[in-house]
Amino acid sequence: MKVLIVEDEKALAKEVCKFLEKGFYLCDIAGTATDATDLMEVNQYDFILLDLGLPDKDGLLLLDDTKKLCPDASYIILTARGDLEDRIKGLDLGADDYLAKPFSLLELQSRMQAITRRKSGNNDPVIELGEFNVDLNKRAIKHQSKEVDLSRKEFDLLSYMLLHKNRPLTRFQLSEHIWGNFNDEDYDSNYIDVHIKNIRKKLSAYAPVEWLQTLRGIGYKIKL
Amino acid sequence: MKLLTKLTLFITLSKLLIVVLFVFALPMLVGRVSFQYTNYYLTQQKKKVLDVIQRNGLEYYLQGDSTYGSYTMLKEEYISLSPRIDGFSKDTIETSQRIIENDTFNYRVLTHVLNSDSRKYLLEIGKTTATIGEYNSLLQRFTLYALIGLILLSILVDLLYTNILIRPLGKIVRTKLRDSKFPFKESLVPVETSTTDFKFLDRSLIDLMEKIHEAFAKEREFTSNASHELLTPISILQNNIENLMMDESLSEQQQEKLMPMINTLNRLKKIVHSLLYISRIENDQFVKKDVVSIHDLLLEVSEELSSRMEMKDVQFVLEVSSGVMITDVNRDLLFQLCYNLVNNAIKYNKEHGTITVKDHQAHGQPYTIIISDTGVGVAAGEISTVFNRFKKTGKSKSEGFGLGLSIVKSIAVYHGFEISLASQLGEGTTVSIVIPASFIKNKIL
Repeated sequence: MKVLIVEDEKALAKEVCKFLEKGFYLCDIAGTATDATDLMEVNQYDFILLDLGLPDKDGLLLLDDTKKLCPDASYIILTARGDLEDRIKGLDLGADDYLAKPFSLLELQSRMQAITRRKSGNNDPVIELGEFNVDLNKRAIKHQSKEVDLSRKEFDLLSYMLLHKNRPLTRFQLSEHIWGNFNDEDYDSNYIDVHIKNIRKKLSAYAPVEWLQTLRGIGYKIKL
Repeated sequence: MKLLTKLTLFITLSKLLIVVLFVFALPMLVGRVSFQYTNYYLTQQKKKVLDVIQRNGLEYYLQGDSTYGSYTMLKEEYISLSPRIDGFSKDTIETSQRIIENDTFNYRVLTHVLNSDSRKYLLEIGKTTATIGEYNSLLQRFTLYALIGLILLSILVDLLYTNILIRPLGKIVRTKLRDSKFPFKESLVPVETSTTDFKFLDRSLIDLMEKIHEAFAKEREFTSNASHELLTPISILQNNIENLMMDESLSEQQQEKLMPMINTLNRLKKIVHSLLYISRIENDQFVKKDVVSIHDLLLEVSEELSSRMEMKDVQFVLEVSSGVMITDVNRDLLFQLCYNLVNNAIKYNKEHGTITVKDHQAHGQPYTIIISDTGVGVAAGEISTVFNRFKKTGKSKSEGFGLGLSIVKSIAVYHGFEISLASQLGEGTTVSIVIPASFIKNKIL
């Protein structure tokens, strides 16, 4: 998968690039709208991550132009502007998703995977998790064809952890994912623990869940 | 005391003073006038008498006698002629007594020395002072009536004019100070008046309000810009730490050492987010067009927060009538407002505590939502500052940066709701939101 990061903040672009390359994405970085168009004329990209505050052109205008150059690419807008209006405009112009800065890299990856999944159809959406099977499309988790009843938030949490398996996930990252853009001062409190406790309780009624590990002082990890 | 009342009192009292002075001075004035008039009258009479004597000759009146006297029937006036021996010859007018047919009268008497055939005669013309007095009282009464009438009329005119004159003052105070609401965004229209002083006052107030408006706008702009500028560096820092956290060469102990950094970064993020949110509210970036069922909204909030309530075993009691709709609001903001309040009610509650949400509406009165908890409460001295930014009650152990209630306040102010907090330390806290009746529509069931 080839990704173009259009971001004038070099340090930020580099961090995103470093992270995506670990996930076997290939990254190009463009600091200006001109650089971005030049690159797009030569290469085809699967993803274009677009910052709205570019020095030479408004990102929304660039999006409008580049839709012609790279019609097959998926666009994710990354911006410090949190205006609802910008978000609507961006999605109107054909962006696939919208992430407000500061965003978590894990969140970015999960959005990218969701887009890929959406675009490629039912491409192996059932993932094995210990003795369980997780169907991301139907949002269901089964143990030997018996469905386990998880709440919406619990399922979100589990699939997010599954997506980032074998990585340490902090409580902040987890709560940011499920409480997301919502303006809540307390989303980082230990409320996430309640959800994990419930998931453990519900799943371990069917089979052991030793793969769901608690990292003392940090958070949680799915180890497979 | 109101300016109009003061002016009215002053005008009335000053006129009353004039009346009193005049009433006391009137007898003297009228006396003086009639005195002067009597003197004039007597002089005129003298001229007539002299004319007649000239024409008819002195003998016609004396008829061989040495004296002549004539008086009217009631003796109000008399004329007499008598020989005069001693030397002085000037006219005099004086008040003196005369005895006529055994009656003694006070007369105003004019004396004149008359020369005829080398003999001197004394001519006296008299008028009783009693008749002079009669005119006096009549004159006094009429003057007094006229005066009172005129003064009443002038008071009426004065009051009407004063009322019109100071009317712009009330309008200036009303439009410039009382009705202008925080954060003073609407532009001010000068009040129409021809009084320069009021124009000056009006202008000064407009200037002042514009300065305040400008200062607020600058503050809002600064908050917004500063927060935005902070987002990018925070973003870099966060992604940097995330990458580090995922570094496979890091041991779990090393990862744990990153946590304080992550905590601090998160705190920073929350503050910046909240500030941006407040500045977005204050910059009118939310459309107020939604119609919201407050019952359903609160139900949604309680569902969203149910896991937190479970954690503390807190009961949520919703006693809000489901028929009440609130119009012209922003649903997201209203949700946030309720969310923050209910969240606080959980956060500062005791284990196994209760949260009660009630509503109250008398007909035509504002609609009130009351959220009360059985939590730790707020000390009396801190109640006034809970809605300020960056204040938190010292009792709470859990972290929180005091922006939750600032957001609540901003949302309330943005919609024109009133919000107040009452609390008993250790007993609980009650927050009331007062929504003006104009926002309320009762659903027809």
